[in-house]
Amino acid sequence: MSLPIEAEGLVRRFGELVAVDGVDLVVEPGEVFGFLGPNGAGKSTIVRMLTTLLKPSGGWARVAGFDIATQAPAVRRAIGVALQDAAIDPLMTGTELLHLQSVLHGIPRREANRRSGELLERVGLTAAADRRVGTYSGGMRRRLDLALSLVHEPEVLFLDEPTTGLDPTSRLALWEEVRTLNSERGTTVFLTTQYLEEADELAGRIAIIDNGRIVRDGTPTALKAAVGAPTLLVEVDEAHLVGTREVLLRFGEERPARDGRVAIGLSGGAAAMATVIRALDEAGVALQHVELDSPSLDDVFAEATGRRLEGAES
Amino acid sequence: MTAAAVPAEGPTRHDPGRGGFAAAVPHALVLSRRAVLGLWRQPNVWVFGSIFPLLIAAVQSSAFARSTGLPGFPEVDSFLQFVLPATIIQVVLFGSINGGTELGLDLESGFFDRLVAAPTARVAILLGRLAGVAVLAVAQTLLYVAIFAAFGATVRGGIPGIATLVVLSVLLSVGIGGLACAIGLRTGSAEAVGNSFPLVFILLFISSAFFPVELMTGWYRSVAERNPLTWMIDGARHQVIVGFDLSEAATAFAVALVIIVGSFWLAVRQLQRRLAVAS
Amino acid sequence: MTDSLVDPDAAVPPAERRGLGGAGNPLAVANQIATRSTRNTLRIPAALVPTVAMPVFFVIAFSGAFSAITDIPGFPTDNILSWMVPFAILQGASFAGMGTAFGTARDIEGGFYDRLLLAPTRRWALVLGPMIFAGTRALLPLVVVLPVAVVAGIDMPAGPVAVLPLLVACVGVGTVAGLWGLGVAYRFQSQRAGALVQLGIFAAMFLSIGQAPIEIMEGWLEKVARINPVTYVLNFARQGFLGDLSWSSTWPGLLAIVGGAAFMAVFSARQFRRLFP
Repeated sequence: MSLPIEAEGLVRRFGELVAVDGVDLVVEPGEVFGFLGPNGAGKSTIVRMLTTLLKPSGGWARVAGFDIATQAPAVRRAIGVALQDAAIDPLMTGTELLHLQSVLHGIPRREANRRSGELLERVGLTAAADRRVGTYSGGMRRRLDLALSLVHEPEVLFLDEPTTGLDPTSRLALWEEVRTLNSERGTTVFLTTQYLEEADELAGRIAIIDNGRIVRDGTPTALKAAVGAPTLLVEVDEAHLVGTREVLLRFGEERPARDGRVAIGLSGGAAAMATVIRALDEAGVALQHVELDSPSLDDVFAEATGRRLEGAES
Repeated sequence: MTAAAVPAEGPTRHDPGRGGFAAAVPHALVLSRRAVLGLWRQPNVWVFGSIFPLLIAAVQSSAFARSTGLPGFPEVDSFLQFVLPATIIQVVLFGSINGGTELGLDLESGFFDRLVAAPTARVAILLGRLAGVAVLAVAQTLLYVAIFAAFGATVRGGIPGIATLVVLSVLLSVGIGGLACAIGLRTGSAEAVGNSFPLVFILLFISSAFFPVELMTGWYRSVAERNPLTWMIDGARHQVIVGFDLSEAATAFAVALVIIVGSFWLAVRQLQRRLAVAS
Repeated sequence: MTDSLVDPDAAVPPAERRGLGGAGNPLAVANQIATRSTRNTLRIPAALVPTVAMPVFFVIAFSGAFSAITDIPGFPTDNILSWMVPFAILQGASFAGMGTAFGTARDIEGGFYDRLLLAPTRRWALVLGPMIFAGTRALLPLVVVLPVAVVAGIDMPAGPVAVLPLLVACVGVGTVAGLWGLGVAYRFQSQRAGALVQLGIFAAMFLSIGQAPIEIMEGWLEKVARINPVTYVLNFARQGFLGDLSWSSTWPGLLAIVGGAAFMAVFSARQFRRLFP
């Protein structure tokens, strides 16, 4: 059985800009693989290359065992794609769009009808199926998008930022759907996201991407463990900032934090908390806020790049 | 770091392929259905364009009614009958632009990407659009023939004459639709397609569309006589004001076919250009 | 703040209300608005193209295609240019009015108009400004097209004074079209109103003696043309190109222009109030 996705040295340039700067990938059958990174990191570009919408400037890749450069039609038959902007036709109904997609994949009429009915039920759009898509909410469009990408039961499913812009309920529903797909049918899922929680919840393995390069990859648990020490976050007023930093640096290495706060990796763990508080007290620091968090993917990102992920909390 | 894409290392999976032409037909059909449905569901796109040429014809036939008596003017029942073919061609010309604007909208919305990421037969993307404008052209032609007849301007060529007009409309819509698609593919914008079309209107004017070439003079007449649209309109008009004539019809069709060949070549080239970023 | 066109600074203390020379002298403001519009247009020369290109196209296409209609018994001239050129020029003048409307609609949509409304000046400056601009722009087709027509052989039996009625008609038509456009822009407050403005202008222009004289018309168009004020404006504008100037050709046209302007002024004033829901 061939690997769902393999790539080596993928590069994509747009004029002077290098959007993707040498990416290697291996995704195993039945995995849910997540690409996590801020806006502009190159996630969508990589997806577009792997789904044959964009030619690489360098490197190679195989999807479902087919070379994306020389066997593109075969790739297209084997993949399902739900891109960032749920590109659907507002004038058509859900049913009509599913029918269209079925014909494009050469699915016989009767089989197509059966699958459409099933998919509509799974994504909860049976009632709205005969309404024009232009009347659907954002969440409904994403769900239809997902249904459209599954109509031919693809080997590999590509989801580009599937929950961006969705309300929390719709987001949870979509996560559930992805989990079911993966566990029931063994569909390999490649998803990109800018949300830590999404990568953490859904992905079995993730790769963190920044400026077109993979900076860390592995399972979320392993990555977080590699960061090691939990983050101790202290908020004080302006006057005590320098003093606070001096004290804290005795207990661990500094980590990025927002203005007005100091963060360190507390090497002694929770057990060392009492000592730290005493030390701060002795230094005459008035604490406004204290937080001790086990490492998050945001910490992983911060450790790898020196920045916090956009939109994530410090 | 490699400078260009390289073939994958190691053995690749065998691709059995899917029959080329056989696959294109159902794709073209389903995309045609989409195009027609799309037009039907957006009346604002074609209703006004369908009425406007009728208004122009009404004004002109009232204003220039007596010109039919001028020496050299072809024998007609009325000025209205004279402009019937040109009015039809006008409405078909402007309706075919939709083929391009809708394609531009698909490019802007990302629906084009959806089609391309699926194993869609590429030519079906074009054929679908053209089928849409062809259906619109047939509907508009028949409607116009009926309306003109209600006002006393009948097609002397009878059923064969009307059939000729319908076939010509289909050919012309496909030809102009192809041009519009080429522009839409090249610019990726629906607006650009709309903006480039006054040129067509100008070309239509310097022809025998609105007045007999025989009654023109000077350089204007020379240009109009050499304008292929004149040959096309004259061939169509013959069916209306004289009677059904195969050779006249053939002339009209020939002009439309040349347009089709040219526009298809352009459209396919632009499509390939756009897809060249992928495989 | 009151929202009447007439006295927006009624609430302003008398010391400041000095008309000429006080804050926001309305004439100066109007002039400034006109200057801004001119500058903006010159920065996008493409905007001027319709005002000039359309009349040129019209003259060439209509004079070329329909030149034979001068042979129809009863046609007032045997020079097709003399018949078509004034009509084409007046069309160009009407587009100038349309352009003003688009500009205003764009400003309203984009929010710039709010800034103008907040300016401490008489409200009519906001209307006068665009109208000055429209009036000037309305003369552009005349200036560009007429010399070319003269070279091409247009007949002017009344001599150079033939230009005078045409000039007056251009300013008049530009003004009326401009007020119409402004009114529609105020009413719909979006650039989509443009289609309606164009439709109104085309209908007015073509349901008249634009293409053919009343003498040779038949059917419904004759009846419509007789009651269309544009017919009389065209008679007025064309007279020097068809024969001598005469009062009988002049007064109906002037009346139509003044009446049209008054009507459209009232219309746009009413719509102006819609800016204050």
